[in-house]
Amino acid sequence: MMPIQYDADVIVVGSGAVGSNLAYELAKQGKSVLILEAGVWVPRWKIVENFRTSPRKVNRNDPYPNAPWAPNSYTPGYIENTGEFDFRPGMLRLVGGTTWHWGGATWRFLPNDMKLRTLYGVGRDWPLSYDELEPYYTRAEYNLGVSGSDTQDQSGQRRGAAYPPRSAPYPVHNEEETYYFQRLKERIGAEGYEFLHEPHVRTNRPYDGRPACCGNNNCMPVCPIGAMYSGEVHAKHAQAQGARVIPDATVFRIEKGDGGKIAAVHYRTSLGNDARLTARYFVMACNGLETPKLLLMSDVANSSDQVGRNLMDHTGIGLQFLADEPLWTGRGPIQQGGVFNWRDGAFRSEHAAIKHAINNAVPNQEVTRILLERGVVGKKLDEQIRHMSARWVEFSTTFEMLPHAHNRVQPSTIRTDALGIPTLKVHYETDDYIARGAARAREDFARFVAIMGGTVIEDHTGWQNRDHLMGTVLMGDDPRDSVVNHECRSWDHSNLFMATTGVIPASGVVNPTLAAIALAIRSADIIAKEI
Amino acid sequence: MTVRKIAGLVLCGILMGSGPAKASESASIFSSQTGPGENLAQLIARGAYVARTADCAACHVGADGAPYAGGYEIASPLGTIIATNISPSRTFGIGGWSEEVFARALRMGVTPHGNLYPAMPYPSYAGMSDEDVHALYIYLTHAVKPVERGPTVGTRLSFPFNLRTLMTGWNAVFSRQKPMAHAATAPGGIERGRYLVEVVGHCSSCHTPRNFAMAEDRSQFLGGAAVGGWFAPNITSDPISGIGGWSEDELVTYLRTGAVAGKSQAAGGMAEAIEHGLRHLADDDLRAIARYLKSVPPIREAGQREPAYGVAFAQPSNFEALNLGHDRSPAAMRDGASTQGEQIYVAACAACHQLHGEGTSDQFYPSLYANTATGGTSPRNLVMAIVKGVHRETNDGTVVMPAFGAELNDAQIAAVSNYVLSRFGNPHLSVSAAEVAGYRIGREEPLVVKLFGPAGVVAALGGLAAGLAGMSLARRRRGDGSDGAVAKMRIED
Repeated sequence: MMPIQYDADVIVVGSGAVGSNLAYELAKQGKSVLILEAGVWVPRWKIVENFRTSPRKVNRNDPYPNAPWAPNSYTPGYIENTGEFDFRPGMLRLVGGTTWHWGGATWRFLPNDMKLRTLYGVGRDWPLSYDELEPYYTRAEYNLGVSGSDTQDQSGQRRGAAYPPRSAPYPVHNEEETYYFQRLKERIGAEGYEFLHEPHVRTNRPYDGRPACCGNNNCMPVCPIGAMYSGEVHAKHAQAQGARVIPDATVFRIEKGDGGKIAAVHYRTSLGNDARLTARYFVMACNGLETPKLLLMSDVANSSDQVGRNLMDHTGIGLQFLADEPLWTGRGPIQQGGVFNWRDGAFRSEHAAIKHAINNAVPNQEVTRILLERGVVGKKLDEQIRHMSARWVEFSTTFEMLPHAHNRVQPSTIRTDALGIPTLKVHYETDDYIARGAARAREDFARFVAIMGGTVIEDHTGWQNRDHLMGTVLMGDDPRDSVVNHECRSWDHSNLFMATTGVIPASGVVNPTLAAIALAIRSADIIAKEI
Repeated sequence: MTVRKIAGLVLCGILMGSGPAKASESASIFSSQTGPGENLAQLIARGAYVARTADCAACHVGADGAPYAGGYEIASPLGTIIATNISPSRTFGIGGWSEEVFARALRMGVTPHGNLYPAMPYPSYAGMSDEDVHALYIYLTHAVKPVERGPTVGTRLSFPFNLRTLMTGWNAVFSRQKPMAHAATAPGGIERGRYLVEVVGHCSSCHTPRNFAMAEDRSQFLGGAAVGGWFAPNITSDPISGIGGWSEDELVTYLRTGAVAGKSQAAGGMAEAIEHGLRHLADDDLRAIARYLKSVPPIREAGQREPAYGVAFAQPSNFEALNLGHDRSPAAMRDGASTQGEQIYVAACAACHQLHGEGTSDQFYPSLYANTATGGTSPRNLVMAIVKGVHRETNDGTVVMPAFGAELNDAQIAAVSNYVLSRFGNPHLSVSAAEVAGYRIGREEPLVVKLFGPAGVVAALGGLAAGLAGMSLARRRRGDGSDGAVAKMRIED
């Protein structure tokens, strides 16, 4: 029998932070890797120029080319919502993925986050323990150059020592606190609120060819100097290790072969040309919406009927107010931490965990919009912009969502993109678990405002998107009710893996990208051993 | 032959990542090579200092960063020279060498296994005092951990330069310096600066241009020379072309930190020299270097009328003419192929160096005018800073400018360089895409090859010819090879 010839050992679909880290780890171990990316490769300087010339500065997708053959999530009609909530994350399609614009928050999940069902009787458990994931968290942090505190209890429960456990210190020390953060911490923290530094990827010392963050405060939509990590870093590293990045290659079909294995993927270029590529292993790394869509379109990996279901975001609410003192909001990084009293505890059997993240984005534009709406003009406008911008305080609060089968993403049945590929249909409803959490959070809001002698600008925002896409290809112990196992391997196809935040079955309350990268590095090691 | 012949190629210690040399606690472990009354710990400390001053660390690092392991790749015009293991391994390093053998290799480029190429600056080290040679020998053999492996690949020069015996004739003509007297070279002595610059620091191996046979042209001593894409500038006392306009304090600050606001920032090989050596030197020694440099006979570059840092302000620009951003089509927004220098500058450079090139107010991001990289007579350092970025470990943290060599192509780098030169630097300079490509490779064809061609070199120059090899000190890191490569190298050697 002739040996089977493959186009690559591994094909990774998607070049974002998760897929690129997985591709890099495999290429580094000598495997031949192809990365297929629907979008194009754009140099940073061009994106910076596109941002500067953009008339829509608050639209963080706007500086990125949005081609009809690789439309981003803000494209009108691209996401068709059938539920009560307008689910609309800001996802990009280009080499490097959505981490071109993100807050860069890279928390670890807590051991308890991963045992939600066991400990609190709600939601689901992860099929692996924190201890099993820990070494991969460390590798992920060193790949990304995460800056964090080696002394804080990040669960917010005041153990008096660093927590959760870690096998190595953060690769980069946490930076100094901004004056804004210091003052909020001094005043609000004095009333029993636990302020924590947020681990993140804005390195404050040169790291892996990246310069130190100098406070451009422009992480979203684009870091002008490349201090903040984006997936492009490891797309380049993967390439340097021999992987091949193929942009303008939208995968539209996963082809099943013999013996329950995946045989090939089919992609289409912007010119409408199709190609078929074979490999020993396939990794779907095209985010928590596009990955399940592609699986459903291909009738793959769905014996459990869970593909696309259990969609979770850290759906949140917001608070904006003016403090009674100038805090000089907007100096330094766009976010630095927040209030974490409600990150873990017995209450989680009753209501969602809560993260009160503190926004530190330069507020001038938002302030100006508000003032213009109020009819303020002329010299008074300038004075008021200065006055309000200096005192601006903004909380971006998020909740731990539970997985529900009815919250789901599917291929649209009524719309296609320019390549004839279905767009997205999403159904998403909030639940009582986060509603009870929100009621608790609003009590905190009232206290924050009172403590800071504040004047409320907005404290009833309604539910907000947080762009953390989880649950849609969730992992579990049982092939009957989960899509992948603890290795992120499809229960149905032994050579198919998922590398996306979509595998996360219990959402905790922290940004999920680092966990997905850690899981992807773990998957890469597993795949490498089998090839 | 064995790998130890290669091991003799270059000699001096590597300190990279090892911190200060650990002096032995016990004075009783005097070897037979330490003289009566010598304190071993003090001797080792002094030898470590000599090694730092000689910048041995930069070349002799292992491919994996192991001190003294050898394997660093030195690009020469005639091929690649691999720095060797100079740890005290008896098999792979210099562990079996007597001090006499060591001194002969260090000063004369002659090892028990054949001649060295002058990528190892033995023509400079020839002037090293007996006491410093002794200290260096004791340090390398007593305080350095043996590395029991050699570089995985060997020096690769083309014929006839691969004939090491040709170096004998070259040495007879070009390497004739005699050891300086210890008294004259001791700290505080009047000749200390000369000794540090000419001998141990071997500054001239980069900063002095080479003659037809790639030996240093003494008539142009420290007059500036191209080095693997970069340009090691004129550091004679000339106030226009050299460092005559720098104060002694400024020179000391530069040697210590690699940066003087309004003058220059070290990158490339000079950043390495500061990182591994100069920043660790005593203030007195840096001051001696500065004083001596200010006494070096001036060399004026023909036609140069103001110093390289003398451009006082930016030329105005009409950014509106750029007319950017009206086309929001995806095709326009992904088009990164522009060769419009101003457009690239504004988007890729101005976030740090600012729209008018002034840098930040604290000069953490330096101004591009009043900057030797832009106002001199060569565009090389500007181009290479863009291609390779800047990376400099200092005593106060790491200084980095990201490399743009992967994001911008040669034509784009030429375009943005020309924009910077015309607006912030020497407007009479320009650079082409082809020149950028050449700088990237960092290899200049030596005059002797141009004149005679490889085949004619032996006949034309006889024993002098091999001296060409290894004179360009552009250093490149290499990845690990295989053990098989070691065996192969032994056979070739």
